[in-house]
Amino acid sequence: MGNGVVFYLTTLLVYAGVDVLACLGLSQQFGVAGVTNFGFIIFQAAGAYVASVLSLPGDSANGGFQTYLGGWNLPFPIPWLGAALVGGLLAVPFTFLVGRRLRGDFAAIGLLVTAVMANLLVTNYRPLFNGSAGLSLVPAPLQDRFDPQSLGYQWAYGITAVVLAALVYLFLRRITESPYGRSLRAMRDNDLVADSLGKNLVSLRLAMLVLGGAIAGLSGGILVGFINLWAPSGWMYAETIVLFAAIIIGGAGNHRGAILGALLVPLAFEEVTRFIPQFGPPGLIPALQWVAIGALIVLFIWFRPQGVLPERRRITARFDNAPDPPPAARTEPRTPPPADSVGEVVLAAHGLTRAFDGVPVVSDVSFQLRRGRLTGLIGPNGAGKSTTLAMLAGTLAPTGGSVLHHGQDITRLPAFRRARTGVLRTFQLASEFKRLTVLENLLCAVPHQPGDSFHGAVLGRRHWRDAEDRAIDRAAAMLDQFGLTGHANQYAGDLSGGQRRLVEIMRALMAEPEVLLLDEPVAGVHPRLAHEIGARLLDLCAGGMTILMVEHELAIMDEFCDPVVVMAEGRILAEGTMDVLRSRSEVVAAYLVG
Amino acid sequence: MVHDVSIDVEPGQVVSIVGPNGSGKSTLLKTIAGVVTALSGQVLLDGNDITNWPPERIARAGVGYVPQVNDVFGPLSVRENLEMGGYLLHRKEIAGHIDKVVGYFPTLGPLLGRRANKLSGGERKMLAMGRVLMLQPALFVLDEPTANLAPAIAQRLLHEHVRQLSVGGASVVIVEQRARAVLEISDHTYVLGGGRLRMAGSPADLANSPDFVDSFLGGHATR
Amino acid sequence: MSLLLSSLGFGLVTAAVLAIASVGFTMQFAVTDVLNLAYGAVMILGAYVGYAVNQAGLSVWLGVGAAAVSGAVISVLLNRVVYTPFRRRGTAPIAMVIVSLGMTLILEFGLQSYVGGNNVSYQLDQGPTVRLGGLQLTVAQLVIMGISVAAMLAIHTLLRFTRLGKAMRATAADRSLARTCGIRTDRVVAATWVLSGALCGLAGAVFAMDAGSFGATSTDLFLVLILAAVFLGGPGQPYGAMLGALVIGVGTEVSAAYLTPAYKDVVAFVLLLIMLAARPTGLLGSRN
Repeated sequence: MGNGVVFYLTTLLVYAGVDVLACLGLSQQFGVAGVTNFGFIIFQAAGAYVASVLSLPGDSANGGFQTYLGGWNLPFPIPWLGAALVGGLLAVPFTFLVGRRLRGDFAAIGLLVTAVMANLLVTNYRPLFNGSAGLSLVPAPLQDRFDPQSLGYQWAYGITAVVLAALVYLFLRRITESPYGRSLRAMRDNDLVADSLGKNLVSLRLAMLVLGGAIAGLSGGILVGFINLWAPSGWMYAETIVLFAAIIIGGAGNHRGAILGALLVPLAFEEVTRFIPQFGPPGLIPALQWVAIGALIVLFIWFRPQGVLPERRRITARFDNAPDPPPAARTEPRTPPPADSVGEVVLAAHGLTRAFDGVPVVSDVSFQLRRGRLTGLIGPNGAGKSTTLAMLAGTLAPTGGSVLHHGQDITRLPAFRRARTGVLRTFQLASEFKRLTVLENLLCAVPHQPGDSFHGAVLGRRHWRDAEDRAIDRAAAMLDQFGLTGHANQYAGDLSGGQRRLVEIMRALMAEPEVLLLDEPVAGVHPRLAHEIGARLLDLCAGGMTILMVEHELAIMDEFCDPVVVMAEGRILAEGTMDVLRSRSEVVAAYLVG
Repeated sequence: MVHDVSIDVEPGQVVSIVGPNGSGKSTLLKTIAGVVTALSGQVLLDGNDITNWPPERIARAGVGYVPQVNDVFGPLSVRENLEMGGYLLHRKEIAGHIDKVVGYFPTLGPLLGRRANKLSGGERKMLAMGRVLMLQPALFVLDEPTANLAPAIAQRLLHEHVRQLSVGGASVVIVEQRARAVLEISDHTYVLGGGRLRMAGSPADLANSPDFVDSFLGGHATR
Repeated sequence: MSLLLSSLGFGLVTAAVLAIASVGFTMQFAVTDVLNLAYGAVMILGAYVGYAVNQAGLSVWLGVGAAAVSGAVISVLLNRVVYTPFRRRGTAPIAMVIVSLGMTLILEFGLQSYVGGNNVSYQLDQGPTVRLGGLQLTVAQLVIMGISVAAMLAIHTLLRFTRLGKAMRATAADRSLARTCGIRTDRVVAATWVLSGALCGLAGAVFAMDAGSFGATSTDLFLVLILAAVFLGGPGQPYGAMLGALVIGVGTEVSAAYLTPAYKDVVAFVLLLIMLAARPTGLLGSRN
């Protein structure tokens, strides 16, 4: 091999490492957590600049032909560490863009525009990083001890880049395959529901922005140490689109897909076109490359949106090929708790009021949920039942009144914190995490899972395996009871409507809430199964759970609920057993006349 | 959602459909208006099969549909809402038709310049019905027009307005939760439950039937 | 004082160009719910069509008309061939935005591969400078402002007083309800793309005049201004976009006079981020 070929190969190796790192970071954000970071490239750029100014001597050196911040002349590996650190910290100010309130595509636009403006600023403001000319003569790591032009150094650099990429891959896999990673994917599939299950969306998204930013920063540090120069023309906003093209082609949500995409798009694509004989005016081939990147994105989203290597379905072996058992038979008649047993008040609404655009939907609603009771909430369409439930759960802020949990005012507590204190809701519309298996949907709700935090995920499987096994045992029992064992490994999004309702109820029960708020849990469920669910809820009440159930099916109310609260036109009309309510003329009027 | 339900409406009749929440009434109306697709069965208008026509074609065929929610164009003024209702009319006819609708709903007269999302509940529902009235359809399809209205306003809307729609020979299909109130203005009533037809008959027969009250308040599955 | 006035003059010209562009962008979002980021690419295509007409020895104002026509044709094709099929499939909004970025690359760099990387300019006589109550403007700048005011008045007349314009607003408010009124919304949507595309091409031509020289990627930065104006007024709100264009146009140019001209667009960027964080429905949007 001639030296030229070897230099070419080692260069390829470095680029492979850098591109794989960048794609892994973006894949973790976009593919796993659903955070669309159109400004990804500025994190790589920040890393490159920081590594440069940490390793460069003061700007008066070399005749002072370039000006820049710092110039600390620090030894390896400080520049690389600094690159990763600053790449991560740079993400913190973007927290406000990834909160729950902003549409994902709007947030993405904010990040895209930030990338355009950051490039503009760095280009024009010379004192920062030497403006449009950029930084050059950036020292190679350890160049005082080794000759960067030697073959050995080149090989070592390339191998270091690839090893670092491999380590990052292992680290991201550790996180993604943990309970924490499951929460990230749940957030990607349906953030509102993840919130209601106790997942802190802002903290999850911030963690992903910081983690991806740190990886991008590291990749920038590695790159600049090798090519020794860095300028704004190298990190235009469109470079982020190349990385998106890579992970869309490789397969978003699958880190191996991200690696494949990195090797195919930024690397192979650039290298192959290098061998095309020059034709046309200068600039033609690069322009056509951009056209090809754009075309690849559009064509892949049309023909193969899941990418070459799609996200794998996470299969738990013990449920493989398991048949569905019949739902557990239940013969003995259930007796509701006696009407005069008075439990302690667990959750109370005081004068709850909610208006939309000035029009009141719920006015001055007060009632109490007592321990061990299955309370029903009925009323005509538009009575404000679901709105009331949402205010109790914290998914909707009241315009007046308060919610008390054991006498403590929790009106201002966000939904995920309420869920963590044991006040949990379900949704009227289908709210399963579509690209999680049924089992994963159930496991997602388990509280106090030591692996359901960044820290816990980093500690590794040994740290959370026991809790996971116990949770799987509980999930297995639950699946057995509801007759869905055979579907444990299926994507929840592939189930029938009724089965998805069951998944949602099971998921809520897995959380072992103190207070369970159910919004039409048996709509679309077979009557016999609805009966089973009612009986099971009563069992849970007997065990001390407090349940509120909004429901249309009055047969269920009759059989299981006591007391029943009736709402009409945003107000509480009456409260009592169904038998009592049926004899009250105003209730009959609300249903029949108004 | 809805299984094998057959409903007949004669010209000049008000036909009401009642039943508990979730019994599939709204879905049935949406199917008639073409907003959702029927899996099986037929919708016939004057003997013509209009099943699964696109909604704009069904509107042209003479069906005026008032949905339960999202029933007006919020950012448009009351007058503009009425103009949209009369979209299929000739330009010269529109002003005359708006006058007629205002004659019918005098409340709307002073509100013509106001934005629809600033109206009260009752005004808004009158606008929704007035919008449909612009084309003078052969069939009015009303989905719970009195939901969220105060009882007195609901009574007035049903008696003064809904009943009157049929006077010129048009037919009205109305879904209501206020079953007793709607019985008073109906010529024929169907009771739905669980997506199936439970009872049907003249309002007088139904009002006296104990099963009627039960179908709302007594779980039909248990008795 | 004269600094303020001269920058105000520049600001009004920028606002004039921006208003044409922003109203088109926001109308596309209103009827299709797509944030069409390829809008800047279509703009510059229009500018080049105008340039080609101009190069052929015809009047630059004929070129402006040609730009508007080509913008309409390209936009209709973009919607028909790309966005509508994706939407019918139920592609998520975020994937639609990625598709529109892909189309940006295809259109912009497709153009660049054809016209090359050098900037070009219209053959345009700027005309004598006119003083208007302290403002100093060239005749060409006055014409640009005239075109913009005329376009805004035309849009206003269309939306408020014509059957088609009201149907556009009705379709944007509630497509399903519009259909039950007998409105053929697919045609209304197509008409909206024709109109907004014409505005886009027109904006491209006047942008090119205002900028002096331009290249295939010149609108990348201008798109930031468009987005800022659109989000300031509330996405989907034509009158909001007009207001946003005025604020952003004047704000950037006046700040350029007092800060450094190189950073004038930062004002738009900061305003955009504030709007996204505090009130994503815009100044004129509803709270819910």
